[in-house]
Amino acid sequence: MDILFGAIASGILLGMVLALVALGLTIIFGLMDIVNFAHGEFLMVGMYTGLLTAQATGMDPLFTLPLAGAIGFLLGVVCYGGFVKYLLRGPMIAQLLGTFGLMLLLRNLALLFFGSEDRALHHGLLVGKSFDVGMGIILSATKLAVAVLSVLAFCGVWLLMNRTKLGKALTATALNRQGARYMGIPTERMNALAWGIGGSTVTIAGALIVNFWSVNPYVGLIFTMIAFTVVALGGFGSVPGAFFAGLVVGFIMEIPGFWDFFAITFDIGWMADVPMTSFKYTWIYVAYFVIMLISPRGLFGWKQ
Amino acid sequence: MKISSNCAQLLVGIFLLTALVLPSAVTAEEIKIGVLFPLTGGAASAGRELRSGAELALEIANNPMPDINMAMARNAGIKSMGGAKITLIFKDHEGNPTLGADLAKKLILDDKVHGLMGAYHSAVTKAVSVVAEQYGVPLINDSSTSPELTKQGYKWFWRTTPHDIYFTKDLFEFLKGLTEGKVKGVPAVPKKDIMSLASACEKTEWGAAVSELIEKFGKDYGFEVKKSILYAAKATDLSSEVRSLIAVKPDAMLFASYTSDAILMMKTLKDQKAAPKLLWGQNAGFEVPEFVSTLGDTTVGSLTRTVFIPKIALVKPVAAKVNAMYKAKTGNDLSGASARSFTGLQAWVHVLEKAGSLKPADIQKAANAIEIPGDELVVPWQGIKFATTGDDIGQNTLGMGLIGQYQKGADGKIDLEIVYPFNVATANMIYPFPKF
Amino acid sequence: MEAIKNALDFSDFPKIDRMLALAVFAFLFAFPLFPLSAFAMATMIQFLMFSLYGMGWNTIGGYGGQVDLGKAQYVGIGAYTTTVCLLRWDIPFWVSMPIGACLSIGWSFIIGYPLFKLKGHYFAIATIATSLVLKDLFEVWKFVGAARGLGILPFKYQVPDFWRLIFKEDIYYYYVIFGFFVIGLLYMNWFRKSRLGFQLRSIKDNEEVARSLGINVHWAKIKTYAIATAFVSVVGSFHAVYVKNIEPEDTMSLDISILIALMAMLGGAGSLWGPIIGAGVLIPLKSYLKEWLGAAAGLVGIDLILYGLIIMIISAFEPRGLWGIVEKIRRRKRI
Repeated sequence: MDILFGAIASGILLGMVLALVALGLTIIFGLMDIVNFAHGEFLMVGMYTGLLTAQATGMDPLFTLPLAGAIGFLLGVVCYGGFVKYLLRGPMIAQLLGTFGLMLLLRNLALLFFGSEDRALHHGLLVGKSFDVGMGIILSATKLAVAVLSVLAFCGVWLLMNRTKLGKALTATALNRQGARYMGIPTERMNALAWGIGGSTVTIAGALIVNFWSVNPYVGLIFTMIAFTVVALGGFGSVPGAFFAGLVVGFIMEIPGFWDFFAITFDIGWMADVPMTSFKYTWIYVAYFVIMLISPRGLFGWKQ
Repeated sequence: MKISSNCAQLLVGIFLLTALVLPSAVTAEEIKIGVLFPLTGGAASAGRELRSGAELALEIANNPMPDINMAMARNAGIKSMGGAKITLIFKDHEGNPTLGADLAKKLILDDKVHGLMGAYHSAVTKAVSVVAEQYGVPLINDSSTSPELTKQGYKWFWRTTPHDIYFTKDLFEFLKGLTEGKVKGVPAVPKKDIMSLASACEKTEWGAAVSELIEKFGKDYGFEVKKSILYAAKATDLSSEVRSLIAVKPDAMLFASYTSDAILMMKTLKDQKAAPKLLWGQNAGFEVPEFVSTLGDTTVGSLTRTVFIPKIALVKPVAAKVNAMYKAKTGNDLSGASARSFTGLQAWVHVLEKAGSLKPADIQKAANAIEIPGDELVVPWQGIKFATTGDDIGQNTLGMGLIGQYQKGADGKIDLEIVYPFNVATANMIYPFPKF
Repeated sequence: MEAIKNALDFSDFPKIDRMLALAVFAFLFAFPLFPLSAFAMATMIQFLMFSLYGMGWNTIGGYGGQVDLGKAQYVGIGAYTTTVCLLRWDIPFWVSMPIGACLSIGWSFIIGYPLFKLKGHYFAIATIATSLVLKDLFEVWKFVGAARGLGILPFKYQVPDFWRLIFKEDIYYYYVIFGFFVIGLLYMNWFRKSRLGFQLRSIKDNEEVARSLGINVHWAKIKTYAIATAFVSVVGSFHAVYVKNIEPEDTMSLDISILIALMAMLGGAGSLWGPIIGAGVLIPLKSYLKEWLGAAAGLVGIDLILYGLIIMIISAFEPRGLWGIVEKIRRRKRI
């Protein structure tokens, strides 16, 4: 039973982390129908920011969050204004390949400046600590913190979008660009803002994640794929969708744990021999494919 | 002008034309050895050690150093070739076998090397050995331990380091000794208490081979291997794998990991509060300086197969001298990686000395005939002599492995103590593995 | 006969294009006869291989307008089929290569049917997903060597072996791939003027209109995808006998898929010369940058940084690639 509870707890925590990672992607997509292939690279930037700042200044990694957020915002806005803006004029193929180029650029700049080796945080308030709540549930302190912050971030963004004037302007732009423009909403600025917010949420997520996952220039891709699946499931553009979808994907990543539970509890020999852990990410790709075919709108999506 | 409008096609032409740049010519009295190591990527820190070890050996070979009791230290360069000096051409294969094979080909055809050394990753060495065999260029493998490599009967491949069959057998002899009370400082452990094993190995040539060996020897020695996980060394997250390991509640956890994954594995084990009675790593990542410098106290109690530990300097004067030089150069003690690359180049020097010429056939004959006595080596082997018959052709038959355990000394420093072979143990073994 | 005439007919290009193409062709033909470094030869073989990959991609990605980022899986199927056939049953290249192509096409139909229900970015991401799933499967499948990969040992055969395509010198490989290159080019020339080619162009332009004209859009896309797959699979088989060492991480990674798409895009997706130009610029660039600036000099990744920048600039300012720039300049000249 321990295994089961452990897997469930882990799935929930992981899910909330993934939801936060995907939040930025759904905001950007919701607003302007452009898929940011460099999303995972933004996360990587956040991770390196958190790591290097903590190591250079000796301050606790948790305090690097505001800095990471600021850098993320800046990065988002700069990417939009300096590049993405031009992409929007072109055909879809150009948009796709454009953000791909951005992904290559960021990834290899990181490779150039930081080297290909794994780096990780070894000291910090939460690093390496976990709570054993019994029944096989071991909660990693950092993941717990991320989960809490994730919930806060989601509430924050939801409030922003629905209760503030700015948020309403953003939503309006997303729903009907022309109409918003007639109403006097500066759509260009809204776009930049969306990239800024999207960028900062994901870099903050990165600065948090680096507390328990090591970073190297190549981590971006798998996170991009996970984020896409979360957003596809939850519905492109839907903030609450991203949260629930994140949880679902968190559980998908825990499939090896559930598999083990069945194999061991019911002593099923052939199950134990299947190398389920090698497929941890495979299920995510399969899930994406299946979701897109069955329900292209996802759970809560209003955009196709 | 119409011509400028086709500059795209012209550009193509120009690029293709620059491909006609020829490589530089060869100078006569220079011995060139191509060395392939992972200088970047997940095992880059091992790559650095490997490079430093080889460079130190080169320094000793090319310059007379009479106070070191090694044949290669006596002369400047290769005496039998009129004092010709050796040059090493380092190439970085990044852990990628196809790139490694490609680089080997370029070293042979463009740089015209007289021999090769490398490559740490067994998967890369495998690919490189095919190239060496095809072109008839001698390759000395200093650091890859997959048994496959010497089972092919290649005529241009020699391996100085013992391979994983030796090492894994050592592990099981050790476990057996544990149940028989032969381990220093530990009363006999009843077999049923250490019966179940689980392994997690990286999935390429090296780790996959180790995984199979663990299962085979496990069966032979009467242990139960409950789970054998193969994982990607480049993974950034190993929590599912570790959870799967812990789920079967093994008494002993066995690993075959490169640098970054060894560190990640230990961290994840600690995070999930794994509690095996015994934890062992098949060298590689478990032996690089980074392992201790990154993980600190977490490493205490873990065992690793090793080929060199600094304590050997206490019993081998050669090792002491070389280690001192190495430490002065890099700030670290010699490790399994650097000691073996050093020894690999040392073997090359002996082979060249005996061959007296750069003709491949002469080098091949010399390699099959050399015998280096154990007291000239920094590693605790009986010597170097390559097998020319049997099913392990090209393998050094006089090698030996050790099993060390990380322990905290009185000075607070964490170092490896020998626990196997039993008669050369330097300290009591810590058993069971201390809780994280 | 009509088809062959069509394939050889380049008359719709201006004279200077044809002259230049002929010059390049002559150069490529004579290239190995100059004394060269193994490095240069290897680079040129890479160039020819990627031109072919790009041409294949171009059918669905360029003419078809559906960006496919999952071509690596077919490289894998082609490569593994040839290797396994050779190692297990001693089946020579010229037999195993078509088998590989058939398996690839079969797989492309299976996933193509659901895949083409998607469009745009969703389609692109789905292609990535399928490619990675296949790679993950190959990594645990013992029959194909799992993550350890498979290796062909050249000295087990009598070289040169034309039947199995095992050679010691690169020059043989060069001419084989050059042969494929020429055939591929002629095929593409026929393709762009064929019925399917025109159907694709109208689909790319406006899918609804195409459908209303009676074109079976879904089926056209699937057929084109199969063609692209066949191209890639054939080169994949070649890759296996050339490199003689394959493993999923190396042969079926996402990086390969991206490179293929990138080169065709850079050169000009949807044009005949585009993929060749793209490969011609990027492959030597990559090789020589790595050689001059590579790891030994501590500047890892510069080649890809340049790649990324080039892609970004092209996609932002001239999405139709280098060939698009050429055409633009020409149009301006005429007016």
